[in-house]
Amino acid sequence: MHELSLIEALIEELEKQNELNKWGKVLKVNLKVGAMRQVIPEVMTFAFEVSTEGTFLDGAKLELDIVPIKWRCKACGNEWDEERATNGGLCEKCGSIDVELLSGMELEIESLEVEDTDVTES
Amino acid sequence: MSRKVSVRKSVFAADEQYAFKIREMFKDKGILMLNIIGSPGAGKTTLLEATLKSLPFKAAVIEGDVATSRDAERISKTGTPVIQINTQGGCHLEAHLVWKALQDLPMEELDIIFVENVGNLVCPAEFDLGEDYKVAVCSVPEGPDKPLKYPHLFFRAGVVLLTKVDFLEHFNFDKELFWGDVKKLNPHAAQLEVASPVGKGMDAWFEILEKWLVEKRR
Ligand SMILES: Nc1nc2c(ncn2[C@@H]2O[C@H](COP(=O)(O)OP(=O)(O)O)[C@@H](O)[C@H]2O)c(=O)[nH]1
Ligand SMILES: [Mg+2]
Ligand SMILES: [Zn+2]
Ligand SMILES: [Zn+2]
Repeated sequence: MHELSLIEALIEELEKQNELNKWGKVLKVNLKVGAMRQVIPEVMTFAFEVSTEGTFLDGAKLELDIVPIKWRCKACGNEWDEERATNGGLCEKCGSIDVELLSGMELEIESLEVEDTDVTES
Repeated sequence: MSRKVSVRKSVFAADEQYAFKIREMFKDKGILMLNIIGSPGAGKTTLLEATLKSLPFKAAVIEGDVATSRDAERISKTGTPVIQINTQGGCHLEAHLVWKALQDLPMEELDIIFVENVGNLVCPAEFDLGEDYKVAVCSVPEGPDKPLKYPHLFFRAGVVLLTKVDFLEHFNFDKELFWGDVKKLNPHAAQLEVASPVGKGMDAWFEILEKWLVEKRR
């Protein structure tokens, strides 16, 4: 359900970009997904497969690159990874509550693989 | 043969721009905007109805639902300007939808805008609408384990409202567990217990609204 709306937003953004860039046939979409984004990878790729049918992305493969959750303490600079989604809690080193998220919320189109139509030699 | 093209663009790049625009606009106008999030049936609309009946500020409401304008009709009865957004299946509101709805509100006359998000504990919390605070609404019948099961909303909320506390004894609800988990996830959030249909806890809620509004206009 949630994955479906993310995929719809992804397709919409790619369609917009394709108007400008005229990519032609897209073979693969490399998407960075932060671990805080609450997505199930299989559901994402399934939703992509279903939703791209009949669009210029039909047949393209969705490749997910999961970005780990990283927090940083603004008081002492301490950085740490977190397995689960939390608010970072307190800094383990200095106990400060002033922590910021460095990564984990990404939903970024990293790159595409498109069919190369300009190639004349083999 | 294939070639690789670099894109490096957030899927929500356009939407994030709208959230930014909304925040800038309300900074200028000194209007407080709240994003109200909770499960379907948690009591979001009921809380708004009770709030609007005696709120000493000028308010407007944006209602987000998958379908129907039922909630907007309920709000309308309090005499408050309200705009309904139907997401047509979408499970959360996005900033561009709110931006569009805002164009139909009498902005110059307002102090507070309440946005009731689509009933859903999962993803509305992830989408910035340009609000000042997220308001987490969780009701006693849902059980006390929701904060740990759906941490996203709770750790981003400015206030957590436990609603339907008139049901406490019927549901064997472990309040200490609930508030303990909320505190672990988010030590900053204000904690309130309300039963809005009978007026319980509403004074503390109004105090928070007033404090936020004063801070916004300082
Ligand atoms: N007893 C009691 N019922 C409530 C309370 N708040 C909401 N309700 C009821 O819960 C149901 C769902 O409330 P509603 O505001 O529509 O939930 P929403 O989906 O979160 O907007 C309605 O029948 C309300 O009358 C409360 O504090 N106490
Ligand atoms: Mg409602
Ligand atoms: Zn530290
Ligand atoms: Zn959603």
